[in-house]
Amino acid sequence: MTDRRVLMGVIGRPHGVRGLVHVRSYTADPADLPGYGPFSDGHGRRFTLRWVSEGVAELSELVDGKRVKLADRNAAERLVNLRLYVDRAQLPAPGEDEFYLSDLVGLEAMGPDGAPLGRVDAVHDYGAGTSLEIGPLLVPFTRACVPVVDIAAGRLTVLPPAEVVVAPDAGADSTSEAVA
Amino acid sequence: MARSIWKGPFVDGYLLNKAEASRASGRNEIIKIWSRRSTILPQFVGLTFGVYNGHKFLPVQVSENMVGHKFGEFSPTRTFTGHSSDKKAKRG
Repeated sequence: MTDRRVLMGVIGRPHGVRGLVHVRSYTADPADLPGYGPFSDGHGRRFTLRWVSEGVAELSELVDGKRVKLADRNAAERLVNLRLYVDRAQLPAPGEDEFYLSDLVGLEAMGPDGAPLGRVDAVHDYGAGTSLEIGPLLVPFTRACVPVVDIAAGRLTVLPPAEVVVAPDAGADSTSEAVA
Repeated sequence: MARSIWKGPFVDGYLLNKAEASRASGRNEIIKIWSRRSTILPQFVGLTFGVYNGHKFLPVQVSENMVGHKFGEFSPTRTFTGHSSDKKAKRG
């Protein structure tokens, strides 16, 4: 799983006439983006970048180990929509019980009996805990529901929780409840 | 205009009963609900709800700092799947 590349950002429109470009960072904190460099474009070219102002960066191409800045706006225009990747191995090791989302997506989910449940399609976090989308199944990313995560083997074990359905007409009328 | 304090927080009654039953059972379960309008009460802390967003039931693990918010706030109806890059998830 470590020989993959991870998309870290995309070069946007040029900024000014001195070769600066807008860069859309996909990192959790955009300020961290330059620290992950040098970046590859997937076709053998390598780049480094330095933030100049918010969202605007000075881009340099690595040619024979030397940094060559983008000369002018024309050079910057040729790089519009260029994707910036790093090797997965360049990312620092996550903490205990922490996982990169890019590592989790694509893992094979197995039931407790070893039966395949599908692949992890997406990882969601809307402020109420992380959940894994495995086909039609949405599973909270907790120790109780996902006891085993084996990134190296490319699989995880899922114990789907029991589901209790509370239909809107299932009980008493709506009520106001004072919080004690 | 904010809701009057004398009314107390709104919550659908059947939700309270089901939450109590779920807590008593102590099982690892998701309570599927449609009631996005209900306020999260302290007695829901520690439970996991599946809150319908019009498409699917998104798991909402209730923690203390979610008390006072509505369930719907944690189950967006318009999904934005961003890029993962260096983002991490901690197993709860």
